Amino acid sequence: MTTKPSTSDGSFTILYFASASSYTSKDAEVLAAPLPVAKLFDLLEEKYTGIKSKVLESCLLTVNLEYVDVPSDASSTGLVIKAGDEVAIIPPVSSG
Amino acid sequence: MVNMDTKEIVEETRYVALTHDTLDAKPIMDRVRSPKAGAIVLFAGTTRDNFAGKSVKELQYTSYEPRALQSMLAICNAVQEKHSLTAIAMIHRLGVVPVGEESILIAVSSPHRQAAWRAGEEALEECKEKVEVWKKEEFGGEEGGVWRANRDGAVGVRIDNDQNLNSPAPGPHGPVLRPGRLGERGHGAVVNPRNQNQNS
Repeated sequence: MTTKPSTSDGSFTILYFASASSYTSKDAEVLAAPLPVAKLFDLLEEKYTGIKSKVLESCLLTVNLEYVDVPSDASSTGLVIKAGDEVAIIPPVSSG
Repeated sequence: MVNMDTKEIVEETRYVALTHDTLDAKPIMDRVRSPKAGAIVLFAGTTRDNFAGKSVKELQYTSYEPRALQSMLAICNAVQEKHSLTAIAMIHRLGVVPVGEESILIAVSSPHRQAAWRAGEEALEECKEKVEVWKKEEFGGEEGGVWRANRDGAVGVRIDNDQNLNSPAPGPHGPVLRPGRLGERGHGAVVNPRNQNQNS
């Protein structure tokens, strides 16, 4: 990531890699914080129709470089993404 | 002295790096060289000109660099401890890698060769399973590029759960969508050293 959108108060950065980057046509963007992790995939589905089934369901999620669980129930309580956090969508890797 | 194209973590007996430069085996071997070691095993993964019979024009690697370096270091720690290695070093190339060139180098050293052989193989398999690096294969023509997935053998392919009754336990990166097939990974058939011990 060479150009990372800057996050001021009330927003967080989300990074897209590989298939997530291709689907959104972006490497990164800024979204409004706070946001419960459980609601993130639904928010992205609203912005990028079809991304949930085509990309996100096989992806993992990190917040500030740590892997976090994505609750399957959007109404469940769980981690809340805060302003200034760095979130990343991690598709299945293909290193080597 | 600081190379802007290389990001690395250097510890006394562990070294991990991501670079946009071409890879050179000798410096990575020298990272693990020691008078205490009787063996250095070096793995060099090179990029193939085809995937499942389709001609690959070039390959491009991208990474979540700070996350990938942490994963590489965690693998090095675990493999070094398990096999009592003298040292371990791992470097992955990013950006466009022309066909036939090295995309990854792993070097391990140990007092005796058996541990080094096993550790080298295990480090590569762990790396291919976990390190946050993504490979895009450009087939040329209208087909464009395809993001490869080590886990699935193809991108965007979802496997139904009922095909998956004998799937292995979830790994640290979440559930495995289906058991691996021989030969689906980039450097030939997958041989899991953890399943081979009874044959040795």
